[in-house]
Amino acid sequence: MQVHKTNYQVNATPRLQVLSEDEIEAIYYAALRVLYETGVRVYDKEGVNVAHSGGAIVEDTTDDSSLVKIPHYMVEKARKTVPSKVVITGPDRRYRMELFKNNINYGGGSDTPFTLDPYTGERRRATYKDVKNFARIAQALPNYDFHMSLGITQDTAVGTYDRWQYLAMLEGTSKPINITAVDLEGVRDQLEMAYIRVGGKEEWKKGPLFSLYIEPVSPLSHSEEVVQKLIFASDNDIPFVYTPCPLAGGTAPTTLAGLLVQSLAESLFGIVISQLRKPGAQIIIGGLMSNMDMRTTIYCYGSPEMALLSAGYTDITKWLRVPEYETAGCSDAKIFDEQAGMESAINIATAGLVGGNMIHDVGYLDSGLTSSPELMVSSNEVIGMTKRILRGIPVNDDTMALDVMAEVGPGGQYLDHEHTFNRFKTEIWQPDLISHQNYENWTASGSKRFNERVHERVIEILETETEPLLDDAMYKELHRICELADARHKDEELDVNMFA
Amino acid sequence: MSEIFEQLATFIIEGDDEKTPELVQKALDEGLNAKDILDNGLIIGMNEVGVRFKDGSMYMPEVLMSAKAMHDGQELLRPLLAAAKVKQSGKILMGTVKGDLHDIGKNLVSMMMEGQGMEVINLGFNVDPEKFVAAIKEHKPDVVGMSSMLTTTMRFMGHTIKAIEEAGLRDSVKVIVGGAPLDAAFGQRIGADGYGYNAGDGAELAKRLLA
Repeated sequence: MQVHKTNYQVNATPRLQVLSEDEIEAIYYAALRVLYETGVRVYDKEGVNVAHSGGAIVEDTTDDSSLVKIPHYMVEKARKTVPSKVVITGPDRRYRMELFKNNINYGGGSDTPFTLDPYTGERRRATYKDVKNFARIAQALPNYDFHMSLGITQDTAVGTYDRWQYLAMLEGTSKPINITAVDLEGVRDQLEMAYIRVGGKEEWKKGPLFSLYIEPVSPLSHSEEVVQKLIFASDNDIPFVYTPCPLAGGTAPTTLAGLLVQSLAESLFGIVISQLRKPGAQIIIGGLMSNMDMRTTIYCYGSPEMALLSAGYTDITKWLRVPEYETAGCSDAKIFDEQAGMESAINIATAGLVGGNMIHDVGYLDSGLTSSPELMVSSNEVIGMTKRILRGIPVNDDTMALDVMAEVGPGGQYLDHEHTFNRFKTEIWQPDLISHQNYENWTASGSKRFNERVHERVIEILETETEPLLDDAMYKELHRICELADARHKDEELDVNMFA
Repeated sequence: MSEIFEQLATFIIEGDDEKTPELVQKALDEGLNAKDILDNGLIIGMNEVGVRFKDGSMYMPEVLMSAKAMHDGQELLRPLLAAAKVKQSGKILMGTVKGDLHDIGKNLVSMMMEGQGMEVINLGFNVDPEKFVAAIKEHKPDVVGMSSMLTTTMRFMGHTIKAIEEAGLRDSVKVIVGGAPLDAAFGQRIGADGYGYNAGDGAELAKRLLA
C-alpha cells in the first residue's frame, strides 16, 4: 500500500487540561516543601511511629499529637509502590469499577443529614428507608458505577449508624460501594458484613466490595480515627479514599494553587503512611476542594471553583499515577430547581472531560447537607450527555462519508440512505427525560416541566418491584452484626431521641 | 467630639486595626469617657458592619477585620470600663465537643462575638463534657457555646448539657449550639437555649441571650 499520510494524530476523545506539566511539578515540589518544612499534625501514636520509622522528623509532641515532618525521599519512595490502578467490584461481579488514569466512574455522595422526601418534597432527616431507596435508584440507573449512602440513617442508633446504612445499601444495590465508618470498630463490622455478602475473605481479595472513605481535617491535620482507619485499611487489603476537604479562604489559602498544594500535601501523607505500612496498599486520593462563600460562609458545592479545582487536581493525580476521587453532580440549591440543574451539569461535564476516576457526590444539594432523588435521576441523563461528548468525533473514510455525499449530491437528502439507517443509533445520543418534542407533542403529553418528568421517574423507580438482593438468611446474618454493635454501644446514646 | 466618634465608626467599618486603637488612645488622651467611646464610636461602627454583612454588601474576611479592629480598640477601654464598674457585655465559653476536631466554625463565631464586644474563652476542639464543666466553674461564663460538625459527635452536646446539669451549673449559664449537621429542633431536643445557623447568627443569639 502506498503511504502518503504522515504525522497524523488521532484525538479519540475530547480533552480538558487545567494545568501544564510544569505547573503540576511546581505544585508537587511545593507540597513536598510543606510536608518537610511546615509538617503535618498527627493525633495517633501508631501513625507517628510509622512515620518516624520511615525517616520522618517528629517534634513538638503534646499529650495528644505530634508535628511530623516528612523528607521528600519518603514520598518518592512511597510513590514507587503505590498502585496506579485500584479495582472495586459489586457483590454482583459484573459491576466492576476500574480506577486509573482517565477512566471515569460516577456515583452518589455520602452521609447528608437531610434528604428531600421523594413524595412530599419536604426536607427532613434521612432514614434507613431513604438510604435503601437511593441505593435502589443507583441500581436502576445505568450511568452509576458505584454508590455511597445518600443520607445518614438517623432512625437507627447514632454511634453505630454506619453498619445500618451499609446494610440499607446492600439491600438496594449490588454495585461497588464507598462506605463511611464512625470509627475503626465500624470498619471492622462492615468488613465482616462484606465478607458475609461476598462469601469470605478470599473472595474479597478477588474483588473488594467497598472502598473506605477517610477524611483528614484541613489544614494539615490527621486525627487518631483517620490514621487508625488508614493503617487498618492498608493492613486488610481495603481500598480507601484519602480525601481532605479544604475550603479556599477558610481551611486553605484562598488562592486556588495554594489550596491544591495543601490538599496534595495532605493526601501525600496518606500515601506515605500507607506504603510504609504495606507496600501496594490501595489508596485513592482526592477529592472535595472548593471555596467558602464569603457572604454566607457556606462550603460551595456548585461553584465554578469547585469544578475547576477538582479538574486541576485530577491533572496532578494523572501525573502522579494515583487513582483519583473527584467531585461532581452536586449543587448549592436548596431544592431540585434550575440552579441544581445548571451547577450539577457544569461540574459533571467538567469532571468527565478532565477524566476524574471516582466521581462522587452526585445527588448532593444544599452544600452537601441534603440529598435529592431527583438530582440522582437528572444527573444520570447529564452523565449520558457527557459520555456522548467524550466519545468524540471519529474521523475516517466511513465517518467522513464522501461516497455517501457524492451519491446524495447537491439538493438531495440523507434520511432514507442506508448509511444513516445503519449508524444513527450509535452516532446520535437519544435523550430519555430531556424533551426533544415539538410544542404540540409536549402540550399533548401534559406540558410537563423537566422537574416534573424527573419526579415521575423517581416514583416509577421506587414503586417498581425488584427481586430482593439479599436472601433471608444472609439478611439476618448481616442484621445481627448491626444489632450486636448497637448492644455494645448502648450506653453512649442519649436519653432523648436526637432526631425524632 | 462627634467627629472622633464618626471617624472611629468609619475605621471599624473599614477594618483598620492600626488606626482604630490609635484613635481610641487619642480620644482617651483628649479626656473622652471610655463608655462613650465604646457606645458612640466602636459599637456604632460594628452595628453597621452587622447590617452590611446581613444585606450581603460586606464579606466575611472584611467583617473579621472589623471585628479585629473592634477587639484591639476595646482592649484599651476594658480596664477603664472595669474600674468604672460599667457592665461588660458578657463572657462566652466556646468549644468543639468531644471527638470532633473541626475548629474553624467555632473560631469564626468566637471572632464575631469578640467583634460584638463579648469576652470569649476558647477551649479549642475535642472538649469532653468534664472539661466544659471544669471551665464553667473556673471562668463563670454567661453563655456556653458548643460546636459539632458530625452527626456522631452531636451526641456529646447532649452529654455535655447533662454533665452541666449534674454539676448543678445549668441555671447559671445559657447553652447555645451550632454546626453543619444541626438544626433548631435538635437544639431544643437536647435542652439547649438556642441554635445558631452560622457565625453571625450565633453571635447575635448570644447577644440576645445576654440582654
